[in-house]
Amino acid sequence: MMKTMNKWIALPAAVSLMLLSACGSNGEGAGNAEKSASAPSTQSPSASEAAKPELKALMRLGPNFEKDPIAAMLEEKTGYKVNYEALPVDKPEDKLNLLIASSEPYDIVSTGGDSSSKAIYADYAKKGALVDLTPLIEKYGKNIKASLSAETLEMAKVDGKIYAIPTRSIESVGTSLMIRKDWLDKLGLQVPTTLDELTAVLKAFKEKDPGGNGAKNIPMAIKGDVPMVDNIVGAFGIVNDWNEVDGKLVPRAMNPSFKDYLSYMSDLYKQGLLDQEFAINKDATVKEKFTNGKAGVIVLHWADIPQIDDALKKNFPDAAYAYIPALASKDGQAGLAQSSGFDRLTFVPKSSKHPEDAIKWIDAKLDPDTFKNMAIGLEGTHHTFKDGNYYPILPIFNDERGSASNYLTGIDEKNYPIYWQARVRKDERLYKGWEALNKQQKPEAFKKNPLGLAPYLPDYSKEDAQLGQMVNDYAVKVIVGAEQLAGFDAFTDQYKKAGGQTSYDEINAWYATVKK
Amino acid sequence: MHIHKRTFGDWVLDIFVYGFMIVLGLITLLPVIYVFSKSVSSDWALVSGRVNLLPVGFQIDTLVNVVTSHAFSRAFVISVIVTSVGTLLSILVTAITAYPLSKRHLPGISFIMVMFIFTMLFNGGLIPNYLLIRELHLINSLWSLILPAMISVFNMLVIKSYYEGLPEALEESARIDGARSYTILFRIILPLSMPVLATIALFYAVGFWNDYFSPMLYINDPALKTLQLHLRDVVMENDTANAINKSADDLMNMSPESIRAATVVASTVPILLVYPFLQKYFIKGVLIGSVKG
Repeated sequence: MMKTMNKWIALPAAVSLMLLSACGSNGEGAGNAEKSASAPSTQSPSASEAAKPELKALMRLGPNFEKDPIAAMLEEKTGYKVNYEALPVDKPEDKLNLLIASSEPYDIVSTGGDSSSKAIYADYAKKGALVDLTPLIEKYGKNIKASLSAETLEMAKVDGKIYAIPTRSIESVGTSLMIRKDWLDKLGLQVPTTLDELTAVLKAFKEKDPGGNGAKNIPMAIKGDVPMVDNIVGAFGIVNDWNEVDGKLVPRAMNPSFKDYLSYMSDLYKQGLLDQEFAINKDATVKEKFTNGKAGVIVLHWADIPQIDDALKKNFPDAAYAYIPALASKDGQAGLAQSSGFDRLTFVPKSSKHPEDAIKWIDAKLDPDTFKNMAIGLEGTHHTFKDGNYYPILPIFNDERGSASNYLTGIDEKNYPIYWQARVRKDERLYKGWEALNKQQKPEAFKKNPLGLAPYLPDYSKEDAQLGQMVNDYAVKVIVGAEQLAGFDAFTDQYKKAGGQTSYDEINAWYATVKK
Repeated sequence: MHIHKRTFGDWVLDIFVYGFMIVLGLITLLPVIYVFSKSVSSDWALVSGRVNLLPVGFQIDTLVNVVTSHAFSRAFVISVIVTSVGTLLSILVTAITAYPLSKRHLPGISFIMVMFIFTMLFNGGLIPNYLLIRELHLINSLWSLILPAMISVFNMLVIKSYYEGLPEALEESARIDGARSYTILFRIILPLSMPVLATIALFYAVGFWNDYFSPMLYINDPALKTLQLHLRDVVMENDTANAINKSADDLMNMSPESIRAATVVASTVPILLVYPFLQKYFIKGVLIGSVKG
């Protein structure tokens, strides 16, 4: 056991050393790749058409790629046989570093699209470990250029060159507050729409105890590691980690509204309206409290609705639930966090033996018909089309297209969000939840994460996790009353000194260029 | 068979010892029962946290589905292959290596011993090992899991000291009857060493079965995943640290808690079934070498 632990600690450090040395020798590797990249173009197109090489792809998550109907369909449509491999679910970045550093000859590599993946990507690009895709897209990327917006490709640039094909994530609201509708009905109350109404409802839940829980009654339960409650933060104008204030992006810790939020939350806690044990709640604990009829309001992602619904209905056949719409503050402020940015990045390492074919393959996958087939299958077989919407045919849709998202290497940005809804419609309850958050809200309530499409920002990427933890810890302490709000300014100073100020400067230097 | 009458102190001590051991036993047993109960409980019961020690909403479908699923059965077969081939080769090579080293009179034998001991104390480290495996073109090959682990010097020393404990006269008499060294090793020494070989074979088998790190490093091909690797993927899928980066698609495709528990159970049971039958060898194994250093 100890041995394994030591190895784990040693791995990242050793790999980064190795990456440095590998890049020294990569100079020649780079030359080779360029040579081989230019060589086939002198051949007649029919010759290269005839002999399509087998490609080696390293994908992000590892379901069964072999024997998968999507893989078979793609092989037939693109003409490329692809050997899929996958990174482990646990610590994928360590393994990826090892593979890139040892120049494994992958033709396509897909990683996540979050800020740490962006950091890894930019690092590889700067160290010369990736093939510059700009000329290849120009030459072979007809479908790529048609499907991906110029904005998307621009965001993937490192030093003015495109090294990756980004896959944009679906812009949607994921989490909000879920309330026991039957409790409300019992008390003759309406689903709250403002912060004050929410407070009133929670008070009623506490005093009248509609669930009949006695001492175990919990008006609202949240997770201990997420003290920023989705939807409630919207009423304070701090929906995301960084929010625009007077043309600048400001983190929560430097935003005076955060103080108001904390005072509201600690007040709820003091009045017993917030789970008194919330600090030790995990995701599963919150769900337990809700499905056991102990908690009246929880934070929930719509993807979790089916399992919650099953359990709740089993325990309380008459239970009903509903999403609380974006809660408005007294001055009408409201907001729900909308995901935005990259779902994954796909690049071609210098060690690839067929960089041109890799781009041709990615391009062929974005052919409108092939792409649609990959995403939701064939009309009549896998889905039906009605009134501009796609409906899945079950169970074949789940069996043959259930893992389609694992194959994405760039999306048709105009159509995919519509295709994708077929995936949500595979369960009526999922669709209802998604619809409540994404269709039945005022569009101005959707607040995109402004940093989702930000380029790689070194200082921010380095400090983000540590600073986020610091803010969360502080928030929990204030809410439970272990720390007084009077010290908020001191906390802001501490945050700035811990790297918040450098991140702020860096982000706003970039943001100023976007705002223009 | 009591030599003296049990005193009050003896009783107190016994109660204390038994009590302590029972508590210790329960501490190790309860988590196993808990995971097992989870694997045969209904999802609604798991989500609402109603499963404690006994299954709630008993169902066996999850377990059956996991065991018959393509990914699990394939990983299981791979692990069985690696474990059986690896153990066979390892025990053979280790037993053969230990024999000449037990003959102290052979010239240069102490130097060779020092070289073996050296590898016990020092090794090249992770990256050089990885590069070596890569240069040998063993990445994505099951041999990368077997060859580097084939001789454990510690196990070899245990066998060696057992050989040294065998009476010299046995070999001398065989030699008088005209037996050559190979015959002596295979017909006389190895059959006499069965207890130690069985123990060491078990050490190797458990090592191969439980190995997670080597396949994690050397195996990229999903078709060659071992059971431990598959298990790790399944268990880590729901890790909250990763949850932040998950897209809605990943969340929708996430497998329920009972599947994770069922995978853990299904991969633990085989080795669990083997243990009771082989435990006696383990206990003997601990004694080996304890008399003669």
